[in-house]
Amino acid sequence: MLEIKDLKAEIEGKKILNGINLVVKPGEVHAIMGPNGAGKSTLSAVLAGRADYAVKGGEVSFNGNDLLEMSPEDRAREGVFLAFQYPVEIPGVSTTNFLKTAINEKRKYLGLEPMEATAFLKFMREKMELMEMDKALTSRSLNEGFSGGEKKRNEVFQMAMLEPKLTIMDETDSGLDIDALRLVSAGVNKLKDGERSFVVITHYQRLLDYIVPDFVHVLYKGRIVKSGDASLAKELEAKGYDWIKAEVEQEANT
Amino acid sequence: MLLETIKKDFIQYKSQAESGEFLTLREAAFAEFEKLGFPTTKHEEWKYTNLKSITDNTFQSTCEIKSLVNELFNASIESKLTANFLVFVNGSLVNELSKIIEKDNSIVISSLATARKNNQVIFNQHFGKYAKVEGQAMNALNTALLSDGAFVFVPDGKTVAHPVVIFNISDASDINVLAQPRNLIIVEEQCTLTIVETYYATGINASFTNVVTETYAGKGAHVEHYKIQQQAGVCYQNNFTQFFQEADTNINHVTLTLDGTLVRNNLHFYMNGENCNSLLYGLYVTDNNDFVDNHTRVDHAKPNCFSDEKYKGILKGHSTAVFNGKIMVHLDAQKTNAYQRNQNILLSDDATVNTKPQLEIFADDVKCTHGATVGELDEESMFYLRSRGIPENMARKLLLTAYAFDIAEKIKIPELVELLEQKIDGKL
Repeated sequence: MLEIKDLKAEIEGKKILNGINLVVKPGEVHAIMGPNGAGKSTLSAVLAGRADYAVKGGEVSFNGNDLLEMSPEDRAREGVFLAFQYPVEIPGVSTTNFLKTAINEKRKYLGLEPMEATAFLKFMREKMELMEMDKALTSRSLNEGFSGGEKKRNEVFQMAMLEPKLTIMDETDSGLDIDALRLVSAGVNKLKDGERSFVVITHYQRLLDYIVPDFVHVLYKGRIVKSGDASLAKELEAKGYDWIKAEVEQEANT
Repeated sequence: MLLETIKKDFIQYKSQAESGEFLTLREAAFAEFEKLGFPTTKHEEWKYTNLKSITDNTFQSTCEIKSLVNELFNASIESKLTANFLVFVNGSLVNELSKIIEKDNSIVISSLATARKNNQVIFNQHFGKYAKVEGQAMNALNTALLSDGAFVFVPDGKTVAHPVVIFNISDASDINVLAQPRNLIIVEEQCTLTIVETYYATGINASFTNVVTETYAGKGAHVEHYKIQQQAGVCYQNNFTQFFQEADTNINHVTLTLDGTLVRNNLHFYMNGENCNSLLYGLYVTDNNDFVDNHTRVDHAKPNCFSDEKYKGILKGHSTAVFNGKIMVHLDAQKTNAYQRNQNILLSDDATVNTKPQLEIFADDVKCTHGATVGELDEESMFYLRSRGIPENMARKLLLTAYAFDIAEKIKIPELVELLEQKIDGKL
């Protein structure tokens, strides 16, 4: 589904990603962990197409297409979804209107007829129930005045509505209390269908107690320096990142 | 050049006028105008607003009314409302299009000329008492040479069931036209009134509208006042609106400027009693070489009053906008709450905004805030929308519409808001 080869990127002349290699197959859950400043958020930003990052090398293919050549909207319409670390508040744009526009733009791109108003509302109601979303949130302006937890849940709700093939979750657990974390994770788990893939970017292991990864990768200094299964996350939780850093430094010296 | 026409106009007016208090008032106003002359950019209050394109031109007052204005009126958003209509073309009342549906006979909705005959006492009591002539050249000019305008009188305790639409058309199909409408709105104690003041234009020549509106709000009155400016073509407008508020009054004012070559709005509030609320909202959407200037002034003269002001601009092309918001908190106006914001989005490198908040506070126990921003559309918001599959142009439109509707929705006539929003949508 997603194939990243030797991806290099920088922002304002500063090298952040120094050759990332990663293959995500349908239905897989990959966790990307790493200390602060390792390049985790940059990776998600580059994959979603944020303009302020300059790609300096490498390739990213998504279902056979060159992802890096696509506009952010085309990436979304091809089935990439980024759950933001800091979802933006947009006063005056209702969640309902926003989602209807997004869904119908995607359908247009895929050559489908727009969804009728009643069908859309029914679809939205179903997803709201599935995600245990408060009805009031969808009639309000997008994320405006939402608590941190509400914003993250709204991200997962949007994901449920847009039904992406690949979801990149950028530190979705940051700023969440344990109840919100549980709700967000439950939402994600409900969307797993053996086809959809997830790249879960996180600093802490605790999210991975709820969203169990098939693979765990450690990102450090812009490269994946270690990969393993879910037990690697536990090890990191217990031992911190220092031993990984030490390993990398040692390797560099020899 | 315009000055010469105006002098001739005044001589002609005097030769036909009946003598009396009204003539004396207008002679004094004309003397004041002659003393001051047209404002130039040397005046602090007119620093950014150059009237040369008006004063170097000639404009004529005319009473002729063409049938094509009917079409313009019937095609307008406002004409669809269930409302009282006073329709003016180049400052003269059009009887066929004006329609009063108010059933209460004690409420007067008429032309100013009619009111001066039929409601002389109340007219003399209020006319010219709020919009100052001293030091205000354009008000003086209007007072001296006013054509006609709307008169609304709501006696104690009455509610006017439907809005009063003051519908102004500048018809410049044959010549450059000058209109100087004058509106007087008197709302006595505990009354409720909604005014929609609207401006259209037609014709290939230029028009200049110099309008003054005085509104007196008696104790406990509630006034909704919406000004909608969409004069297409070469249209110049100087608009002066003065509210005079007694205690416990609520005034909600919205100005939407959607078209016009040069528009200067002067919006003044004077709070003459305690516990007044004054709400001032504005939206200007400018394009081409349009110039829109909003000068507002709120006088907190008494304690415990509240004012909230928010003006937003969207600028395209080579257009220019000016915002100058003055809040005067007088010496004994303790416990004043005054808020002011001016936000601007520039959609073109060639658009310009001059924004200036001006707070003068003489009381010591007050809460006043102000802020001005000039920028582009928020990139984070754009990226967020695009990352959900919404294309760039649509994302931009969604954000601009949301930004603009925030002001349009302060108008409390849902059917008008809906139609205006379609209009704004079209402009973006």
